Amino acid sequence: MRGSGQRMGPPQPSSAPSLTLPRFRGREGWGRRPLWAILVGPYALYLLVLLIVPFANVALFSVHAYSPTKVVLPELTFANYLKIFDPYYARLFGRTLRLGLVTTAICAVLGYPLAYFLARARPRVLALGLFLLIMPLMVSTVIRVFGWIVILGRKGMVNQALVAVGLEPVKLLYTETAVVIGLVNIFMPFMVLPLMASIERIPPSLEEAAQNLGASWPQMFLRTIMPLSLPGLISGCLLVYSVSISAFVTPALMGSPRERMVGQQIYDEVLVSFNWPSAASLAITLVLFTLLLLFAALRVTRRAGRLEIRQ
Amino acid sequence: MSGRTPWPLLPFVAVVYLGLLAPLVVVIAVSFGPSAAFAFPPTGLTLRWFEAFFNSKPFVTSFFRVSLVVGLLAAVLATTLGTAAAIGLVRFRFTGREAFETFFLMPLLVPEILVGAALYLFYARLAIHASVLTLLWSHLIICTPYVIRSVTAGLVGMDPRLEEAAKSLGATPLQAFFKVTFPLLRSSLLSGAIFAFIISFSDINLALFLSGPESTSLPVHLFSQIQWEGDPTIAAASSLQIVIIGALILLVQRIFRLRLMV
Repeated sequence: MRGSGQRMGPPQPSSAPSLTLPRFRGREGWGRRPLWAILVGPYALYLLVLLIVPFANVALFSVHAYSPTKVVLPELTFANYLKIFDPYYARLFGRTLRLGLVTTAICAVLGYPLAYFLARARPRVLALGLFLLIMPLMVSTVIRVFGWIVILGRKGMVNQALVAVGLEPVKLLYTETAVVIGLVNIFMPFMVLPLMASIERIPPSLEEAAQNLGASWPQMFLRTIMPLSLPGLISGCLLVYSVSISAFVTPALMGSPRERMVGQQIYDEVLVSFNWPSAASLAITLVLFTLLLLFAALRVTRRAGRLEIRQ
Repeated sequence: MSGRTPWPLLPFVAVVYLGLLAPLVVVIAVSFGPSAAFAFPPTGLTLRWFEAFFNSKPFVTSFFRVSLVVGLLAAVLATTLGTAAAIGLVRFRFTGREAFETFFLMPLLVPEILVGAALYLFYARLAIHASVLTLLWSHLIICTPYVIRSVTAGLVGMDPRLEEAAKSLGATPLQAFFKVTFPLLRSSLLSGAIFAFIISFSDINLALFLSGPESTSLPVHLFSQIQWEGDPTIAAASSLQIVIIGALILLVQRIFRLRLMV
């Protein structure tokens, strides 16, 4: 299926949120020399020491009991994980997963037309469109959140406009709505890019065929574009969901201190209350859940890639 | 005409873009306005917040001595690590190659906030104090995958016949690679390096955990200033970051002739 003898495709746009690397489909490499180990080794070792070992350390913290004086007691326990079912933590996780779902749904609805527009745009429009999509993504989250604070704040733009037309100012900032607005804004590109890549692969002739057979544009979209771009939609949704449930900066600066998300709880337990075992159990739970979602997304993307090669 | 999108959808597309860009436009506008209360639209034009930025020691230190330095070093080191890894992955066939590929994507799959927390706890266990160095080598973890992706794409997209031509003219495989292929990879290397810089420069999730008192990066300083409701100096510093990043992305887009590689 892969390997030599495949046609050389055009270089694919590999976008930040896509999960697979492009594949080399040229002739053979340099054989089996051990040189590969020298090339691949350093970063592999680097990740081993600074990613795998630190997470093993977190896992170790998570099965030890907490002590206010010594931080960690030597005895093993699973209490940190069972505690997640306590009302406080259950509500915390419930809220986090719910806000993630709402964010994902809004991103999908708003992102689909944009993805279609970009997938079918002419090169110049596409270049501008991608620039305007990627540029905000690359600017620090803090700065984009700060922009929303200026817009939504007590004396912000929205409230000034309300007062100007004689209405009462409303409380927008430090609510769940504000958090969702912030998350949708920040993670929109993670939905649009995989969707766009997926729609691009659908030949425009299929659209024409559907419309020549009498389908209106919305019918064509629902019955041709939507089903065929489903892999893009699924991987976009999984990406947006996984990044929004681990958000920290947005809920910390735009949310109410009483309605927090898991990321904030982890931050506080690590840096403020020093309850490292509890933070560790939350982190391990969140990381396992996220990896599960993202490997599902990876499979969807890869399967879609393979199907395309077969055609 | 803009492609095949039916016109009733276009206002919708415009509104989504408006939402995406609104926060950045507002930040830039506020940084030039005279009002300390972030009034928008600004009632006048002034540079006093930029002046305040350059006169504020914490801002200047976090911008120029921490974020810029760490970003540039991270870009150089990540490009070295990432280019080597990409060449190894693309040009060699060995058992476990696909496993390495997936492994090298891990830093993008694990939530950044958890990477930050895990590294904090790791350094705490080893009693390593936060410094510019801890920040730098932590950033390398998340910057390198972008280089790997960019260089892999460059290698895969290259015409293998160029190298074969060199070999048929008597070059050894290694000579053919370094004299023919490598020079052609320059744009992929550059775009990988630029993205590595941007990722480090705008990172907050790792830096929140790994910045020490002497190594507060710009986003972390902005974060605390926003929490303490500082003045539009925040907006001025933010505008500078937006301009730098915008210019770099334009540059990448130029290198790749309109097709954006991230």
